[in-house]
Amino acid sequence: MSTIRARSPAAYWLALPAALWMIGAVVVPVLLILWVSFWGGRAFSPASPLTFDNYARFFGNRTYLALIGQTLLHAATLMAICGVLGYCIAYFLMVKLRNAPLRTALFLAFIIPFWTSALIRAIAWVPFLGVNGVINRALLALGITDAPVEIFLYSRTGISMAQVSLYTLMASGPVVYMLAQIAPALREAAMTLKAPPGVVFRRVIFPLTLPGVVIGQVLVFLNVMADFATVQTIGGNKIALLSNLILNFYEGAQLRAAAVVSVILMACMLIGVVAAMRVVDIRKLGG
Amino acid sequence: MGWRTRSRLTSWLLGTLTIGFLLYQWMPIATLSLLSFSGPTGGTTFPMNGVSLHWYRELWEASIMSDFKPPLLRSALLALACSVTTTILAVTAAQAMRGRFRGHNAFFYLLLLGIMAPGLLVGFGVALTARLLGIEPAWDGTAFLVHVSWTLPFGFMTMLAIFNRFDARIEEAALTLGATRWVAFRRITLPIVLPGVIGAALFGFSLSYDEFARSLFTTGSDVTLPLAVMAQLDRQLTPELYAIGTATTVTSFVAILACTASLALIRRSMRRG
Repeated sequence: MSTIRARSPAAYWLALPAALWMIGAVVVPVLLILWVSFWGGRAFSPASPLTFDNYARFFGNRTYLALIGQTLLHAATLMAICGVLGYCIAYFLMVKLRNAPLRTALFLAFIIPFWTSALIRAIAWVPFLGVNGVINRALLALGITDAPVEIFLYSRTGISMAQVSLYTLMASGPVVYMLAQIAPALREAAMTLKAPPGVVFRRVIFPLTLPGVVIGQVLVFLNVMADFATVQTIGGNKIALLSNLILNFYEGAQLRAAAVVSVILMACMLIGVVAAMRVVDIRKLGG
Repeated sequence: MGWRTRSRLTSWLLGTLTIGFLLYQWMPIATLSLLSFSGPTGGTTFPMNGVSLHWYRELWEASIMSDFKPPLLRSALLALACSVTTTILAVTAAQAMRGRFRGHNAFFYLLLLGIMAPGLLVGFGVALTARLLGIEPAWDGTAFLVHVSWTLPFGFMTMLAIFNRFDARIEEAALTLGATRWVAFRRITLPIVLPGVIGAALFGFSLSYDEFARSLFTTGSDVTLPLAVMAQLDRQLTPELYAIGTATTVTSFVAILACTASLALIRRSMRRG
């Protein structure tokens, strides 16, 4: 017995507003993008004939094809860096650090920026990366370089540097969650059976945290693929990835082209998520 | 080298890495705040040319072109509305999940979709929908609709997590003693899950307040704060932007602090009561 009866009509009525909201604001608009991407003809209306012309035009352009490759490569780089960094930090905080107050303090220092504006955090990188920026001044002062290095601002390096600071938490969080679930007895059992620490990690700890690693990779992948704001802030107009192309087409009133790129971006993301689901079952995480 | 030494060595290595990353993560925020206090002749990078509140004053007495006050007001109102809506819908949706109605798994994935679907696509999709329906995008119309679809799933997950740890026997006791379901929910269930409700409200506020991608496509001509900031960045990077960035970040910190404090208060009053 509880305040809500199992399978009662009340449950339906309580779920209905949220369900309608999500369908109206997410499902229908996304399906509409898919539909619009097939519209042919000249006028922008639902009466348009459906064609593959928009896609043919996109895939006929070598620059755009190369852009898909660059975007995926960029995402893979970020996944690798954030994945390794995130795992190391999660492992240190959860396993290696024994001092509880210090652990809480470091955790807070790790998490708090997540609750502040990502846009502001991206902008905060700009004074760091410029030719007169903090990094260049430090390099000059230390005598590492004689002239300012120009590779930071308006470059993919600069974008990656900012995105690493934005998204490492996403790779780390799920691993922290999985590490917290491992019973200490498991490690002790393995140690009692004379497994060296390296083997305990490789054969016990890491496999148990694998679902967390995969979820973290998915989160980083999805966020980096769709993050046009950081690219725009730090890359200026010099660097564009797939997500920026959507905005460019949209601002140029080429709605069908924007829809095509959106569908391709969506397809990349779906493939990524499905591939990850084949490795781990997301539903098992809750239990 | 014995495994004990090696273990200590990895500890030091990982510790250094963690501290290094934390510095890396905080340095830009700290620099931004520091530079926002630079003198009137200070630029967007070091040297600061003195210390002053000049850029904050500029921000306050801004001309119409770069006046951040109306966008700030819109962002705050929108975030407040999102917070209230998120809280109500998240509580009802999570309570519905406890009823295990037919299709509750699909319902869960529908809400999860709101977290997974990128703002860029959702925003663009809603812009297309509004265009086809002949609706003019506005910060208090389409943007509100889209913002809640982003904040609601976070509130919902928070409430689910709280209800997972909730001891239903307490409710049972109330019902056995003759309370109606509504009274038991209001007087027993709700006070116990209050920390989750506050968490949902915080998510609703801060995620909406900081949202950029979704707003970009759905806000129309009366922009919200992140859009105004981005527009100013496109025109010119000035220390004013640093001032507003610092102010926003401090606001976020205050919001987190307020929530943590209220959570602590609730826990204390519950222990006493």
